[in-house]
Amino acid sequence: MTNHYQMTKTNTHKGRIGLLLSAAPGYSETFFRSKIKGLKESGFDLVLFCSENQHGFKDCPVVLLPQQAKNKLILGIKLVWVYLGLLPYVKTLRRFVQLERTDGKAWLPILKRLYTHAPVFKQDLDCLHFGFGTLALGCENMAAAIQADMAVSFRGFDIGVYPIKHPQCYSGLWDKVSKIHVISDDIKQLLYSHGFRDQAPVVKITPAIDTHYFSTEQGHVCVEHPIQLITVARLHWKKGLEYTLEALALLKQQGIAFEYRIIGSGPEEEALKFACYQLGLQAQVFFLGKLGHEEVRQHLTQAQYYIQYSVQEGFCNAVLEAQAMGLLCVVSDAEGLAENVLDGKTGWVVPKRNPQLLTEKMIEVIQMAEMEKQRITHEASFRVQEIFSIETQIQKFTQFYSDK
Amino acid sequence: MEKSLKIAIYSGNIPSTTFIERLIKGVSDSGSQVFLFGLIKQKTTYGNQVQVFGYKNTKGSKLWVLIKYTCLLFLFKPTQKKRLDAILNKTNNNTLYSKVKYYPVLWHQPDIFHVQWAKGLDEWLWVQEFGMRLMLSLRGAHINYSPIADTKLAAMYRENFPKVAGFHAVSQAIAKEACKYGADKQHIQVVKSGLKLQDFLFQLKTTNPQAPINILSVGRGHWKKNYRLALDAMHALKQLGLAFRYDIIGVSGEEALLFQRAQLGLEQEVGFIGPLPFKEVQKAIKEADVMLLPSVEEGIANVVLEAMALGTLVVSTDCGGMKEVVLPKQTGYLVPVRDAQAMALALKEVSELPLETYQRITQQARAFVEANHSEAQMVSGMLGLYKRLMLEGSDKVN
Repeated sequence: MTNHYQMTKTNTHKGRIGLLLSAAPGYSETFFRSKIKGLKESGFDLVLFCSENQHGFKDCPVVLLPQQAKNKLILGIKLVWVYLGLLPYVKTLRRFVQLERTDGKAWLPILKRLYTHAPVFKQDLDCLHFGFGTLALGCENMAAAIQADMAVSFRGFDIGVYPIKHPQCYSGLWDKVSKIHVISDDIKQLLYSHGFRDQAPVVKITPAIDTHYFSTEQGHVCVEHPIQLITVARLHWKKGLEYTLEALALLKQQGIAFEYRIIGSGPEEEALKFACYQLGLQAQVFFLGKLGHEEVRQHLTQAQYYIQYSVQEGFCNAVLEAQAMGLLCVVSDAEGLAENVLDGKTGWVVPKRNPQLLTEKMIEVIQMAEMEKQRITHEASFRVQEIFSIETQIQKFTQFYSDK
Repeated sequence: MEKSLKIAIYSGNIPSTTFIERLIKGVSDSGSQVFLFGLIKQKTTYGNQVQVFGYKNTKGSKLWVLIKYTCLLFLFKPTQKKRLDAILNKTNNNTLYSKVKYYPVLWHQPDIFHVQWAKGLDEWLWVQEFGMRLMLSLRGAHINYSPIADTKLAAMYRENFPKVAGFHAVSQAIAKEACKYGADKQHIQVVKSGLKLQDFLFQLKTTNPQAPINILSVGRGHWKKNYRLALDAMHALKQLGLAFRYDIIGVSGEEALLFQRAQLGLEQEVGFIGPLPFKEVQKAIKEADVMLLPSVEEGIANVVLEAMALGTLVVSTDCGGMKEVVLPKQTGYLVPVRDAQAMALALKEVSELPLETYQRITQQARAFVEANHSEAQMVSGMLGLYKRLMLEGSDKVN
C-alpha cells in the first residue's frame, strides 16, 4: 500500500500535503470528509498518515504507519523489511540523522523513528502537517529531512494538559516548525506559556460543523415542563460533569423541575452515576451512552438548554452544534469555550469549577423573558452559520497552506 | 468442652488484604480453626490453627486439586458430590475451574463460610445447601457504589441478599445501604475495623500548627477519594490568605490532578507523592497538622483511624460511616461532602485552634479509637458474630 502512493508533486496543483493523524476518520465524520474534499477542490493533493484505518477511509490516499510487534522475532523481521525499503531514500535519511545528531539525539530513538515513520520519509511533500501537537513529538526534524514545511495543529489536550505532565516537551519543536495552527486564541496563549516565542506564524482556524445538517430548520419539539437540559460529551474528567451535577443538585433544591440528558460514554461513568445517586438526581439525570449523529441531533431538537461546564476544552464542536440547532448554551470559561459562546450575546459563560455560579446563571437564564431567549438563540445560530461553517474553514485552510 | 468452630474466611486470594489477614490471625489465635480456600498468590506462613486448601495459578496445581478432591468426594461423599454437580449444572457453572474452587470447600465443609467481598456472593450460595452457614462482609465499594453504576450487580444483590444467613458490616452506614438490596436488618451486625494499637503510638503535639499549616491526605487516586474537591478547597484556602502545605501520598502521575493543580496555580503549595511504605506514611501522618479526608464515599477510612490513633487532627467529609468516628469538634472536624468552601473554612478554623483545644480533640480521638477500634475488640466482635450465626443455625434445625 505504501509504495502505491509514492507520488511526486504535480505542477498543476497548489501543493502536496501530508497530514499525520493517529487514526483515519470514521464513516460518520462527514465533517472531515468534506474538509478533505474541499481542499482537493482547491487544488491540493492530500495524503493521510495514520496508525489505523478501521473504517476504510479512502477520500484521499491513506498510508498506514508500521506498528510495533509484541513478538520479538516478528518485530525483527519487520524492522529489516522496513529499513530495506528505506534504502532508495538514503539522502533523506542522511539529512534526518544529521539533524537529529546535531540536536543531541541518541541512536536508538533515531532508529525507532525511522521505523515508525518510514512511509513519511518516502514522500515528496510541500507540507507535513501534524494534526495534534503530541504527534509531532520526536518528529521535529522529519519535515526538514524530506524538505517540506512543517505545520502543527494545537487543539486542546496537546497543549493544555500534556505539557503539564511532560514539561518542556515542545522545547525542541518551536525552532523547527514553519507554521502553527490553533483552534482558539486561548490555545494560542498556552503556546507562550510553554516556551513559544513567535518563532513561527500562528494562525487561528476554529473548528467547523456541518451547518446544513445542524440548523434551526430541524425545529424544536421539546416539552416545556420539566425543562430539558442536555450535554453531549465523553464522560471524562475534562468535561467537568461532576461540577455540572453538583450545580443541578442546587437547582433542584431551588425547586426547579428539569430533566438532564448526557450523551456520551467514558471512564467517569461510575463516578458520575454515584454522584447522581448521592445528590438525589437519579430521577432527573439520564445517561444515554454514546449515540450516532442522527440520534444526537434528534435529542438536541428535544432540549431547550445545552450545558458544557468543562474544566478543559479546546473549542468544542458539540457547543457549536447546539447553537446551530437553536439551543440556549451555558458554558464554562475553559480555554476556547469563551470564544465559542459570546457571554450575554450568543449564550452565557460561567467561571469554571464553581457549581454555585453555574446554578445562579442557570436560574437567571431559565427566568429570562422569552423574547430575550429568542434573541440570543437567533444570534447564536446566525453566528455559527456565518463563522463556523465547513466552507469558511476550507477557505482558511486553503489560505493556511498557500501562504509561505 | 465446647467444640471449636471451623471458619472459612474467603476473599479469593491467599494472602488477602491487610485487614482480612488481621482477622484471620485474630480468629485463629482465639482457638477457632480457620480454613483458607482460593488462589495462593504467595506462600504465607500461618499458625497451627490455620489450614490452607488453595491452589496455585498453574495448570498442574489446579489439576492436582481437581483430581484429589474429585476422588475424595467420589469415594467418601458421593451423594454430596452428586448434589453439588447438579447445582452447578442448574446454574450453568459446571466448569472444571468451578470444581477446583468448590470441591475443596465441600470436602472440608467448614461450619461457617465467610465471604469477604459481596461481588462474589452468587458463587457461594450453594454452601447453605450442605449445612454450612453463609456469612457476608459488607465492605466499601462493593456495597456503596458499584451496584449503583452496575445494575446487573444490584439485581444480583437483590436476589441473593435475602438468602444470606448473616452479615458483617464495617459501619452502621454500610449496614443501612445493604438493607436497600434486601439484606435483613436482623441479620446484620456491625463489627468495626480494628487497629493493632501497639503499632500506632500516640504523640501529643506540643506546639500550635505553625504557618504554613501542614495538611496531608493518604490514599490512591481513585474517584471516590475526591481529591478534586481537596484541590478546590486548597484554592479557596489560598484565596482566604492562609499559608499552607498540602501533600497527597498515594498519587503521583494522575493527569486530572496535575492539570487541576496547574490550572488553580497551586504548584508551590500542593505536592503529589507516590505510594510509600507503612513506616514512612506513619511518619508523614505524625508530622502533619491535619489529616484531610475529602472522599465522597468510604466505609470507615482506615487512614483516619490511624491518624486519630497517632495524634493528628482529622478533617473529614461526612461520607459513608465517617460520622461514626469523626464526632464534630470532639474527635475531629466533619464537613459536608462535595463542599469545597466548607472544607476550606474548617481547615482555616483548625489552623487557628488554641493548642489546648487541638490537644483535647486529638486525645479524645485516641481514646475513641482505643475504645471502639482495637484489634481485640474487632476479633471478639467477629467471634460473637460467628457464634450467634451458629446458634441461629441450630435453632433453625431444632
